[in-house]
Amino acid sequence: MKERNTTSTLRRILVNCAAQAKEYGGCVAAKVPEIERDMCLKEFLSLKTCMQNTCKHNLSSLNLRGEEFRSGMSAKASSSQLSVSSSGSGGLSHVYIQHPPLRCNVPGSRGLFYDDGNKLLLSPTSDQVLSWKAVPFDPHVAPTSDSISEGPVLSIRYSLDAKIIAIQRSSLEIQFFHRETGQNFCHKCKPESDSILGFFWTDCPQCDFVLVKTSGLDLLACDADSKSLHVVETKKLNVSWYVYTHESRLVLLASGMQCKTFNGFQLSSAGIVRLPKFEMVMAKSEANSKPVLEDEDVYIATIYGRIYCLQIDRVAMLLHSYRFYRDAVVQQGSLPIYSNKVAVSVVDNVLLIHQVGAKVIILYDIFADSRSPISAPLPLLLRGFPRSNTSSSRSNAKDIEIPEANTSDSETIIYGDDWTFLVPDLICDVSNKFLWKIHLDLEASLPCSIVSEAPSVLDFLQRRKLESSKAKQLCLAITRNVILERRPVSTIAKAIDVLLMSYSLSLKTGSYLKGTKTDKTSHSAGTQISILQSGASAPTGEVDAHGTSTKHQSSATVDNESMNRSGNFSTSDSEDNAQFNSLKAISIVNKEKLSGGAESSSSEVHPSSLQSQNLGPSNSPLNASVSERQESQLISPAISVDEMYSLVFAPVEEEMVGDPYYLVSIIVEFLRSASSEKIKVQPNIYVLTIQLLARNERYAELSLFIINKILEPSKEVAMQLLELGRQNSQIRKLGLDMLRQLSLHHDYVLLLVQDGYYLEALRYARKHKVVTVRPSLFLEAAVSSHDSQLLAAVLRFFSDFTPGFKNTTDCRAYCQILNEMNSAVAV
Amino acid sequence: MGMATANSGGSEGMELCIFDLRRGQQEGQELDKILFFFPADLPFSTQLSVIGLSEGLITFTRIFSPEAACELIEAEKHSHVFYEAEPDIWMVMVVEKSKEAEAIWRIDALREVLKEIHSLFMMFYGPVREMLEKDPSGGLTRAHLYPFVMDYLSDFLVGKKTQLPSFRDCLKEFGTVQMLTVGREAAIEVQSLVRVLESGAGATHCYSLILFQDLLVSTTLSPDDTINLFAYAVQRLSPRALSSGGSSWSYLRRGSTPSHVVVGPTFATVSVSDQFHNMHATSPSQDNSYHVKRPLQHNRWSKGKDGFLVTDIWGTETGSLIPSTPTIWLQQTGERMYLCAYQYKSLTLILLVPLSSILNGEQGISLVKQQVLENASLKILKVEERLSKGWGGENAYHVSGYRYLLIDDDRNVSRASPPAKVTTLAKESLLAMSKLREEVDLEKSRSKWDNADRDKDLEICIRVKNNAWVIARTTRGKELYMVLERANETLLYASDAFEKFSDRYCGGAFSLD
Repeated sequence: MKERNTTSTLRRILVNCAAQAKEYGGCVAAKVPEIERDMCLKEFLSLKTCMQNTCKHNLSSLNLRGEEFRSGMSAKASSSQLSVSSSGSGGLSHVYIQHPPLRCNVPGSRGLFYDDGNKLLLSPTSDQVLSWKAVPFDPHVAPTSDSISEGPVLSIRYSLDAKIIAIQRSSLEIQFFHRETGQNFCHKCKPESDSILGFFWTDCPQCDFVLVKTSGLDLLACDADSKSLHVVETKKLNVSWYVYTHESRLVLLASGMQCKTFNGFQLSSAGIVRLPKFEMVMAKSEANSKPVLEDEDVYIATIYGRIYCLQIDRVAMLLHSYRFYRDAVVQQGSLPIYSNKVAVSVVDNVLLIHQVGAKVIILYDIFADSRSPISAPLPLLLRGFPRSNTSSSRSNAKDIEIPEANTSDSETIIYGDDWTFLVPDLICDVSNKFLWKIHLDLEASLPCSIVSEAPSVLDFLQRRKLESSKAKQLCLAITRNVILERRPVSTIAKAIDVLLMSYSLSLKTGSYLKGTKTDKTSHSAGTQISILQSGASAPTGEVDAHGTSTKHQSSATVDNESMNRSGNFSTSDSEDNAQFNSLKAISIVNKEKLSGGAESSSSEVHPSSLQSQNLGPSNSPLNASVSERQESQLISPAISVDEMYSLVFAPVEEEMVGDPYYLVSIIVEFLRSASSEKIKVQPNIYVLTIQLLARNERYAELSLFIINKILEPSKEVAMQLLELGRQNSQIRKLGLDMLRQLSLHHDYVLLLVQDGYYLEALRYARKHKVVTVRPSLFLEAAVSSHDSQLLAAVLRFFSDFTPGFKNTTDCRAYCQILNEMNSAVAV
Repeated sequence: MGMATANSGGSEGMELCIFDLRRGQQEGQELDKILFFFPADLPFSTQLSVIGLSEGLITFTRIFSPEAACELIEAEKHSHVFYEAEPDIWMVMVVEKSKEAEAIWRIDALREVLKEIHSLFMMFYGPVREMLEKDPSGGLTRAHLYPFVMDYLSDFLVGKKTQLPSFRDCLKEFGTVQMLTVGREAAIEVQSLVRVLESGAGATHCYSLILFQDLLVSTTLSPDDTINLFAYAVQRLSPRALSSGGSSWSYLRRGSTPSHVVVGPTFATVSVSDQFHNMHATSPSQDNSYHVKRPLQHNRWSKGKDGFLVTDIWGTETGSLIPSTPTIWLQQTGERMYLCAYQYKSLTLILLVPLSSILNGEQGISLVKQQVLENASLKILKVEERLSKGWGGENAYHVSGYRYLLIDDDRNVSRASPPAKVTTLAKESLLAMSKLREEVDLEKSRSKWDNADRDKDLEICIRVKNNAWVIARTTRGKELYMVLERANETLLYASDAFEKFSDRYCGGAFSLD
């Protein structure tokens, strides 16, 4: 269902823009052997404009509505209010890079290296190495420098504790420098045997340093004094090339003629996991030609804590994806690619496929069942670039696509030839020595048919962590819109299910509370990471506040807990781990999870892959290291029940024209969802429901709602019923009954008196020992009834049951009144 | 005619007439007043004398009480129960009193029967007055009323006798709805289903009624329409009504007792009911100028393949074999609605779609049905499952040691001990309760005139000859009647037991002190 909808979006674009697409295609086809940059530019631009217009139509209507709401929102909301629409208006693109970049241009630089273990961008010069922190991304960060000795630099990485710098000098030698002491030592391989392909530091308990050679892996450990390394273990394998990301702690070693046979190891803090050997799929172009897989065609991506491998098949023009489990590698399906140069980034667990040749990005949300993109392909946008004409951001977007117009400024070249895509979301422009961070524009990345696909869109937004407050605002706006547009109740029910499920999950993991506390997203997240990485053992106040610190006594119990929870929602496992692990500063795949197997793999495994489900319960998913992703835990876009009322139902109710009964249906669905998630609902929603039903004069239904406790009893609800009771005595009775059942004796007695049931009130007061109601109230009421018998009865009641009443002025005054009344009767 | 012998026996005689005071005011045209008379084979002179007496009393009492004229004549051997169904359209029931034949009546219960006849008639055909205006000769009205009331009365046929609600039925209340008690989650599910059902037919305003077994689960209709449709659904549409196979004692499934269901020789029943049916079949056919639909006929509903209930009562659409969808008339809005009933196991769903919203007749209805199936079938499954899981069976609402009747007048809801349990009571207890209820009825109607907006609290405890306690308590629109046969000697004990019940099952509504 989902799949069909999404593709229909694409299809709609293609149908609308058929003419332009044909023109562009024809142009490209005509020039085919000599493909170059910006050929057929005119045709491309017209196609692009058409696509954007098709897509924008829907979005702009949403924004407008969002704007209207903002005025009516409460002060609390508007303070945290993001400019949902304004930020999206800077040209239409779902992915952008923000000017200025991190400039790493230093004289004498010998290239740029990225150390993904420490998130450092390194630029060695002849005698020193400069390093910039890439996370958190700050374009103005000052580099730190370390001196090294002269020599070629093939590769460079800091140790995870940042004390040692390792530099590959040649295919045989790696040199180590102590940053503090400046001492150095070398590690050399035997020249005859093999050559070094690369190396990385690891936090695996057995070793500190891994050397990847053509003959296999060398696992090395530092000596106590950190003066030398010794080999702990070697894994003999033929290796043509390898891929490693620190994020996943996974190293994939390619071998074979076509380099498509892979061995994998995960070197995590929980130990070393050897993955089963597997082959990647490669289509043959002709019978005899066998394409060779290259290292640039294989990516390791960590998405929602799961590790995937993405492999480009140039012949089939497909991007194959594989998911890693402890004892299996399961192919997950393939995505089409439209360009012969493709790069992969992951931003906020969204998979970005850069179709470098076509200069567009396609977004996928791997979590969803669908293998279709979340939105139409759109170009990468450079934001905030200063230029003379800044009047319209729309025109900016266009300008960027025409580098010729700004040839003086080479900074603006998008998808330059020297662009290197770093894991997970950085771009290094090697020729300019720039580092860009990729951002996702949530609003723009939503599918065109935002309203009809509301549940899946909300689901997507609820899983966004980086810009969660924006995601939240978008969710609210979408929810309001679908209700205002009177979409089918079933659609809205699904949407509400999504929101409440996410809220209940965030309550369980505690991230909702965090979310309300931390306002800044990536920034604060980044600082926390740095604290953890520097080895500080004390958790920050934030973490402490959520009581998670109490849970780190033993990893086993914690893991078990998290596994139990993971049953509900499949992301929760990694989420929970992330929290707990963050306290341990460095933690990777936890053993319990891998060996315990209590978690049913089926809830984790992609449903479409039957294969993986058949692997049995021992087939636990291989999870990525989480310390990097822990920023994702800090804030959640979940919408609380209270916010649902104040930001959705209340404004919608004001805005809504026509039959308010529709809103009742929505609220019923909301209550259903809340009760199935065991979330407590505030009385204000009940009060609203009562008002809506009363407005329709559906009193019979209202009483059914009350009697079945669909609207749970509370004082607010009772008061609302009493208020309505002025028109309908039956509703008033329901309110009274509710007060009695809630044991709100004082109010109950008062209302009985108001209704003229004096004696009943007195009896009730006596039974329930209500002493807060003043006797004079009853006495006054009795006097006003002009019934001397009644007055006498009331007086008698108080003098009998209230000690000391006889001495009060009330008693005397009313006795006198009674006497007068009696004498009047006598006369 | 067989009927005549069955009814002219005298001792178990019951007469029922409907007449219009605005008609037949000229001498010699008196017969024109009569819209319906049962038994039909009584000589017109007898019929006219019954109606003449009634009319005379009505005219006389109107002098003193124009709003509410005569309600009842208690003669030595007969009771005449009056009910003004519509302005100047009166229904009068004459029942014979007889201690031996257990013909001891509670008048209000009999009046409820009259009321139900009229409400149901209105539900199908609209107000009688309108029909009379349409056809001033009265032929149309008579042609409709006759089979309708006869069909209705056939429900009361036990053996050879038309058994009206007597003192034995004092622990049940006509004209009320029995509800299923559901938990909050189930209630929400049901409401969610209701919304889906009603949204099925597009933007127009639909109504729905959901029953589980013979109990109401949810309604969006006004209280009066709910009562009528509920009564009809229970009698003709519920799973039990469908499976009972057209018994003439199907009325009993409304609550009389299984022991009552001990039917005499089967052939006798059949033959009598055959007479009933033959009579209906023949008399309208003699008068073929009117096409009279007989919605109360037995065995005319069945479950279709798609789960929707179908009937041929409303005939077939011209030129096809598809049965027409029934229509009913809503009292509250005066609107005609299509009635679509869907049944899944014990769950019966009734969806009412305005006639005005469906332009292309049966085709449109089948579209609505299809939509209902598409959107709601999953929810229906879920709701049925949940309700049957929580369903305590026939005796779900039995409270051991108590025989009770709880009425909520505001909501027209009642709940009573299961009929099988009520039959265990001694005759004395039941008679006492019947008497007590009459007292309360009287008190109620009195206070209604005295002080309309203030309900009176009332409590009566009676010690019956057989040492049972018979208790009635009313408080602000709620009534609770109770028979405690095995209670202790003291009043204190009885009132304690009462209090306990009130606290446990009525939310403490009856325990004020």
